[in-house]
Amino acid sequence: MIGVLFLLIALALLGLPLFITLAAGGLYASIMSGLDPSGLIIELYRLANQPNLITIPLFTFAGMTMAAGGSPRRLIKLFNAMLGWMPGGLAMAAIVSCAFFTAFTGASGVTIIALGGLLYPLFIQSNYSEKFSLGLLTSSGSLGLLFPPSLAILLYGIVSGTNIDELFLAGIVPGLILLILLALYSYKSALAWHTPSHPFSFKTLLSAARKSIWDILLPVLVMIGIFGGYVTVSEAAAVTATYALFIESIIYKEIKLKTDLPKVLVDTAKLVGSILIILGVAMGLTNILIDSQLPSRLLGFTENYIHSQLQFLLALNVFLLLIGAMMDIFSAIVVVVPLIMPLANRYQVDPVHLGIIFLANLEIGYMTPPVGINLFIASQRFGKSILTLFQSAMPFLLIMLLWLLMISYIPSLTLWWK
Amino acid sequence: MFKFLLRLKEKLISIEKLLAASCLLALLALSLSQVIMRNLFEIGFSDIDTITRHLVLFVTFMGAALASEGNQHIKIDCVTAVINDTKKQKLKMPLLLISSIVCGIFFWYALLFWLDEKSYAQDNEQLALYLALILPFGFFILSLHFLLLGITQSSSEQTP
Repeated sequence: MIGVLFLLIALALLGLPLFITLAAGGLYASIMSGLDPSGLIIELYRLANQPNLITIPLFTFAGMTMAAGGSPRRLIKLFNAMLGWMPGGLAMAAIVSCAFFTAFTGASGVTIIALGGLLYPLFIQSNYSEKFSLGLLTSSGSLGLLFPPSLAILLYGIVSGTNIDELFLAGIVPGLILLILLALYSYKSALAWHTPSHPFSFKTLLSAARKSIWDILLPVLVMIGIFGGYVTVSEAAAVTATYALFIESIIYKEIKLKTDLPKVLVDTAKLVGSILIILGVAMGLTNILIDSQLPSRLLGFTENYIHSQLQFLLALNVFLLLIGAMMDIFSAIVVVVPLIMPLANRYQVDPVHLGIIFLANLEIGYMTPPVGINLFIASQRFGKSILTLFQSAMPFLLIMLLWLLMISYIPSLTLWWK
Repeated sequence: MFKFLLRLKEKLISIEKLLAASCLLALLALSLSQVIMRNLFEIGFSDIDTITRHLVLFVTFMGAALASEGNQHIKIDCVTAVINDTKKQKLKMPLLLISSIVCGIFFWYALLFWLDEKSYAQDNEQLALYLALILPFGFFILSLHFLLLGITQSSSEQTP
């Protein structure tokens, strides 16, 4: 048993796709437990009974359509016109643009690819240090992870059975706090470098707003629709995807239906396929682990050492930071959430609060070696070594750790609406 | 033989792309039509819900197969960062073949599951039953794609 487990881990570390590792693990576990492996397929097929599952491909399609349709360029112009007059204004504009964009593309690397290339030369031209620019852009790939309609929140809601509307609501304040902390750091850094800032021009702002009004309306419509109770999350996903396609193809005319749309559809399918196939095969494996009483054994073990909610949250943060550095966010949600839900329940951690803590930890994991995916994408995008990028991202990492402590130990930041 | 396999792989990719794109587009169109019908006419069709939920599985399997082609699957391959390109290249074929075998086994069990479902399906479950064919079909496509990738990559390495 242990030997097979080590073999699978070794193969995964050598590059076996994670879904194959989990599938092989599920097959082995079900055979060893004397179960029919068809049970794994039954669990996978349960995906087709998840009413919220369609939100994942549809919101992803909306994000990919906007990425392909020039939305990043328009957003940077708008936020730069709005904030660029302050010291560190360009950095603040980058933070807001990246957060906006990541919320729609699910921190899948699209933000660094789509916005990083536009912002990096702008930073260097504007006297920002290379280290700061690289650090900010590396961290930016996961900044909007807690804002609706984040793919990670949707997946967490589906896997844990937590209300997605409540998770969306709970992520807003922690997400905003992180943006403010990073904006303050950018302001302080920019003062030291005397970065140039352009004078505020209402005319420029109006022109940029006019050009990007349709992009800006999108999150507003999503939030009003869901929180106003006008549409369900899955209806909002369908409307958002249609809206994104409409504005990019008809209004902005950036996406040609015959030539560009097929590529956007295929790219969306690839991203969705690589995430949901993990969810599908992991459901069977997790079910076997639950049947084998692993969560209750874990609970028994934990109760010996951890006696309070505070201790539990601290241990959870350390554990999730390690997980975040080893696994990508989507696999971590699928594999780890079902195992820690009973523990969180025992220590009376609200499932919505747990969700935000979980995602915040993994958001930080995106920029920590060895598997922090932002480091790899930024390394490819900017042609710098992983070590250089990690060193550059260190101040941002420390700010994010401070933020993590805040949202972990002050539940009212997450549950203010209850 | 190598050219034939390459052509077969290209054909497979074209089919996967066509299916992925058309299923995603159909998913969008059907979901939107449900929103319009529910909110404007206060009607909804349960069959459309059944179809959209299965379309997600179609998109997932076809997307996963396409992700194999571009080596875009999620991995935790931190060891590959410290090994040289030659060794990385040598590792590729066995990993692709293992992937093909695992998907092949899943194809077999998915087929057994489907046949089992077929024998018990009621009249009102026929639509879902036939849409559930995506499970064996999806794993078959994945297995075939990994196999073709493994063979064509190893052959292209041997070709001077």
